[in-house]
Amino acid sequence: MGQPAWIIIGNPESRPVALFQAALARCGLPPARIVAYADLLAHNITLCDVVQDGDIVRIETPGRNFAVEIALLQRGVDAIDPETLAYAHASAHWLNQVLAQHAHDRGAVWYPRQWYLGYCALLQEIAQQLAACPPHRRMNQPNDIEHMFDKRQCHARLAQAGMLVPRSPGPIQGYADLLAAMQQMGWHQVFVKLAHGSSASGSVAYRTNGQQHRAVTTVDTISYDPAGYPILFNTRRLRTLHDRAEIATLIDAVCQHRAHVEQWLPKAGIDGATFDLRVVMIAGQVCHVVPRLSNTPMTNLHLLNRRGNIDRVRQRMGETAWQALCQHCQQVMTLFPGSLYAGLDVLLLPGYHQHVILECNAFGDLLPGMLWHGMDTYEAEIVAMLKSHGEPLHEPGRGHTYRQQW
Amino acid sequence: MTIEEHATTVAGKPVVDWQIGTDIATISPDPAEVVYAIRLGYEESQTFYKWTDKFAIFLNDPAVHQVTGIVVGSWDELDVIVAALVAARDRLPHLTALFLGDIIREEYEISWITQTDVSSLFTAYPNLEHLRLRGGNGLSLGRVRHERLTSLIIESGGLPASVLQEVTTATLPALEHLELWLGDEEYGANTTIDDIAPLLFQNPFPNLRYLGLRNSEIADEIAFAIAQAPVLQRITVLDLSLGTLGDVGAAALLESAALAHLEQLDLHHHFCSTGVMKQLAEMGQRLGITIDLDEQMEADIDDGDEMRFVAVSE
Repeated sequence: MGQPAWIIIGNPESRPVALFQAALARCGLPPARIVAYADLLAHNITLCDVVQDGDIVRIETPGRNFAVEIALLQRGVDAIDPETLAYAHASAHWLNQVLAQHAHDRGAVWYPRQWYLGYCALLQEIAQQLAACPPHRRMNQPNDIEHMFDKRQCHARLAQAGMLVPRSPGPIQGYADLLAAMQQMGWHQVFVKLAHGSSASGSVAYRTNGQQHRAVTTVDTISYDPAGYPILFNTRRLRTLHDRAEIATLIDAVCQHRAHVEQWLPKAGIDGATFDLRVVMIAGQVCHVVPRLSNTPMTNLHLLNRRGNIDRVRQRMGETAWQALCQHCQQVMTLFPGSLYAGLDVLLLPGYHQHVILECNAFGDLLPGMLWHGMDTYEAEIVAMLKSHGEPLHEPGRGHTYRQQW
Repeated sequence: MTIEEHATTVAGKPVVDWQIGTDIATISPDPAEVVYAIRLGYEESQTFYKWTDKFAIFLNDPAVHQVTGIVVGSWDELDVIVAALVAARDRLPHLTALFLGDIIREEYEISWITQTDVSSLFTAYPNLEHLRLRGGNGLSLGRVRHERLTSLIIESGGLPASVLQEVTTATLPALEHLELWLGDEEYGANTTIDDIAPLLFQNPFPNLRYLGLRNSEIADEIAFAIAQAPVLQRITVLDLSLGTLGDVGAAALLESAALAHLEQLDLHHHFCSTGVMKQLAEMGQRLGITIDLDEQMEADIDDGDEMRFVAVSE
């Protein structure tokens, strides 16, 4: 048997796929074969046609491809929601209209609960197909991805396992419900997020002192579909709302798509900004770590925020607090034993001594240009994958000039 | 840097967080050399005890009488907190530095902090040298007369004119550092240049070395007034940073002969044009003044109107 073949399930035109291919090339490995989500969804191909003995399978994000998004929503039409509540959803007929008319609507978030159910159905199909394939290795597992893509479930799972997470009041159905929960918990500020959103999509940072209200949100506008369900439109320029009725409408709308609510804990600051950490875990180890600096409550880098310097953060934390953080992240990854990698969001409280885990992102390793021991995230994953199997290595980082972009 | 981070130094001393269960003397061998921050942290905010409960435990520490500086990290019931501080006067005989309301943007809105009447602190703590207050709403200093206070800082998103009047009529013979964040009209700033004028023209504080009229919406007017004001003969540092200073105010500074006495001029977070910035920098070089021109801001355009903004408002 020769070298294992690499197989990526993803959108062929997507950035992570291109970056992973480039990383393979830098490792002196042949390019991966790409199985397009679109083909899997259309049943043009099954993984059994592709995966051979000893191959390595990687599942990438299905995002940023409108046709795939619509196909996943279609897959979700008949999916049975284990929760009895009716979240915003659309019929197959309406989705076809959407497909025809709204492909270029910037920032629209189409029925995230239905999308998630559709994606879960596909992930289960992928799992079944892989089970029927010859013995192979996987960089990640369909069921881990499923769990990480549900912020509410992921949070509950971490909390149950004794991990430090912000407190959550549990399921919240709307603004009135939220206010009651905040009062009961004695909280003045919370985050409301789409349970199945990425990159701060449909997020609201809300605080009140009883008389005044303030919400910072990535939601630009809300429109309503013919069934009366709200459609959220995201913006990269955050909006600030003060009007209670407007905030109520927004939070009600987010909750109709299934929301995860948690206490808004204050973040530590550095260089005139506050930050959290994106920690890329590979093979159980803390690898690439990026402070995400912001002057808003949301730190996601695409929201015009900036990357900070981890060495300075580490210095202020001190070695004990840093080691505690690393150990904690390692413990979190033991909850996802099938995942070689994930991107954890970790919040440091002001004072730099305590931290909590905010999120686990299945596809959170997209940090272009970020190097750890001379390797980007993808190279580090490739090396870890081969090392775990004792493959001879062509070490990357030798004879290459890496451009550091920050 | 404004209010994104808790204070790391106060009165030139490092700030350390004091936690229940740690001895004051364990944190620092010389308790007089650090400033103790008492805050309600993540876990504590979930319990039902209040800042004053934590403070009561702090006061029971045998080394508490050596403490020289305290940071209050709470926005809740500041009136009760001030009363507790006043009641603790005998246990804190050496208190020289107090920061009341070290609350960052991630925790609360500065304009939502309900400050209180702090006049009793001046009588309770005759040795106080540094007083820093955050939040302007509800703040009152009373008729201030204090022999030792060298530094007074009031940070707000909107300082009421009444507070400014209390400052200008205060008797503070030792005052060297006066820093006022004036703020945004929408968040309670109703001071006019007439309220500020006594600071500039009547020299109420004979030892003043630093004057900060920061975070102001009327920065141009202030610059215009101060350019010919006698206060410039006294101070070595003028701080007009965090505000809305533009070319009009900068032009007044450029034409001021009195500016030559300054050692430092802090203008960071401003709306000056690049050409004017260059002129300011040249003036700084010529007169030997260190000028901070960082954070050139761009005005928001709203309905064709140019909207400048201060660094800290809501």
